[in-house]
Amino acid sequence: MNDAPTIRRRGLVAAGLSLPFIRSAAAQQASGEPYVMGTLFPMSGPNAEYGEAFTRGAQLALSHIAADNMLRRPIRLQAEDSQALPQPSVVGMNKLVNVDRAVWVLVSWTASSKAVAPIGDRAKVIMVNGGAVGPDLSGLSPYFWNVIALAHLEVPVLVDYLTRHRNVKRMALVYVDDPLGDAILGQLRTELPKAGGQLVGSFSVPRAAQQFGPVAARVRQTRPDAVYIASFGAQQSQIIKGLRDNGVTQILCSYSAFSIDSVRQLPEAVGALYTTQKLDFESGDPITRRFAADFRARYNQTPVAYHANYYNAAYLFGLLARQLEQANEEVNGESLRQAMLRTRTFDLVGGRGTFDDQGNLMTQMQVNEIKGAGRTEIVQG
Amino acid sequence: MLFLQLLINGLQTGAIYALTAAGFALIFGATRIFHFAHGTAFTLAGYAFLFAWRADWPGWAGVLVAVAAATLFGMAMERFVYRPIQRHEGSFFTVFVAAFGVGIVVQNLIGLLAGRGLATVDTSLSFGTEVLPEIFVAPILWIAIGTAAVLFAALTVFLTRSHAGVALRALAQNPDLIRTYGLSANGLSVLAFAIGSALAAPAAIITAMTSGLNEAIGHQVMLISIAATIVGGIGSLRGAALAGLMLGVAESLALQFVDTQWAEAVSFLVLFAFILFRPSGIFGVAAAR
Repeated sequence: MNDAPTIRRRGLVAAGLSLPFIRSAAAQQASGEPYVMGTLFPMSGPNAEYGEAFTRGAQLALSHIAADNMLRRPIRLQAEDSQALPQPSVVGMNKLVNVDRAVWVLVSWTASSKAVAPIGDRAKVIMVNGGAVGPDLSGLSPYFWNVIALAHLEVPVLVDYLTRHRNVKRMALVYVDDPLGDAILGQLRTELPKAGGQLVGSFSVPRAAQQFGPVAARVRQTRPDAVYIASFGAQQSQIIKGLRDNGVTQILCSYSAFSIDSVRQLPEAVGALYTTQKLDFESGDPITRRFAADFRARYNQTPVAYHANYYNAAYLFGLLARQLEQANEEVNGESLRQAMLRTRTFDLVGGRGTFDDQGNLMTQMQVNEIKGAGRTEIVQG
Repeated sequence: MLFLQLLINGLQTGAIYALTAAGFALIFGATRIFHFAHGTAFTLAGYAFLFAWRADWPGWAGVLVAVAAATLFGMAMERFVYRPIQRHEGSFFTVFVAAFGVGIVVQNLIGLLAGRGLATVDTSLSFGTEVLPEIFVAPILWIAIGTAAVLFAALTVFLTRSHAGVALRALAQNPDLIRTYGLSANGLSVLAFAIGSALAAPAAIITAMTSGLNEAIGHQVMLISIAATIVGGIGSLRGAALAGLMLGVAESLALQFVDTQWAEAVSFLVLFAFILFRPSGIFGVAAAR
């Protein structure tokens, strides 16, 4: 009984101290404070190359939004290092949502995305994925959108191309032991028989595995016509090198993860095939041309699908927030979602794209072949 | 034939593990410092060789640069990180956190300087050719095995025949006795770090040629080094080397019997087996209670 006044006093003190931090979104809007856009990318560790690529795409979009005076308030990009792992992703997402008050978070990696989706869902924060391809990311939450074609769209395109144009009947799979790898395995098991092919072997590898000579020996035994690699980051390059150095001469193929520089520059990757959404940087579409030209000028690098995806993921915020500002509506997760559902179709890099009911941006696909020294060629699309 | 191919792959991996583990075991055995940044010395040596290779330096110059990078890093860690810590309280945890922190800093610096992602030394030495039906062997296999054999022979001669080597072994057993004989324990400690770190360089160079490097590769190296040190018997150099070789071969041969996913787990199954049934390791001496 004697403690009651103390508790009340403590509560009052705590409430008083927290008052300066409790401000309505409307008050923030009126003050011209920046919108906070969070990023949950791997910025350290063996997958940091992706984080760097994703961030470049988003940064260019923000500079275009600012240059075009699309919004009344500036946007602040707040980065958190996901390390491509679920646990650090959850920590980062909690900080973005509860401390930084982000209204829009760019996410990546299937396992990480699935880990943070409930947090974003509860807080009604929009999460946009431009890098992960696990099919179960579709419809993960009303606030979780994908601007990349997921595996259930990528795998059938490649299987169709390989069986029709490269006479591939027997395929082996080397896949990382995580939700992405499992998803690709499921897709190949379904899609190969439909196209008259066969999955002759599937070899799961731990995320930290680095030696692939012994795996190559097992792959050779299955006598495949092609080997699908479902991994990412440094490991996928190690798998390519491990297979090629150890007598696997067959076609190597994958999903959009092969579009990073370290794979396209790898001598052993010459001839490898991979799918991405359709992207023609030399097309007549002004948004795509502007993106490609400014990206080259800013980073001295030819853009790839990941740069475009995260450009689109960030630019989409500009398009939706502009709509809301013009209608004098508050910009928050729910209003952004309603604006997306009202509009559905957007002009983005790569052309016009339309979101389906699950929040997936529907685009056409293409098959690319690595030609060496960073060059690629579109072989179908 | 699969068994033979897996054995060949295992010997190549085992030689790399043996070199790395021996370096860690030498440092830990002589100084009792848990040098978690040994993986960082490995990473630095690999990238030093990579830079030299990309700059079109001759191979031998690249090897020298790699050895120098690893050696200087090891010596600097002893002088500027571990010695000040040990001068005060020197707890295991403080040493571990300091080494871990240095590893993170170096990892990020390498990422900034060399770029993120996999970096490989493009050489035909790692390219396997079919020497028997279904048996692929790359020249790097012989280089790995030969290098490991020569270095272990040289190290054994050094530790048994030279004054410095004998003093290093004495340091492991009784540092006070070293001081009684007028020798510098600090100097010997630096020597242990220099030699132990230098041993990581050949393994790093071979790794750069085979599976490639990334800035975070040091953690994996440390896991294997620790496992090999325990399996070999703490403080035993030949034990660590033999255990490293054994773990590499076991990891590869396991694929004859189990799914590829379990290859790395085999190393740790071996480790658990030793902890349960022979905690003192292959060459370790059981401690009396």
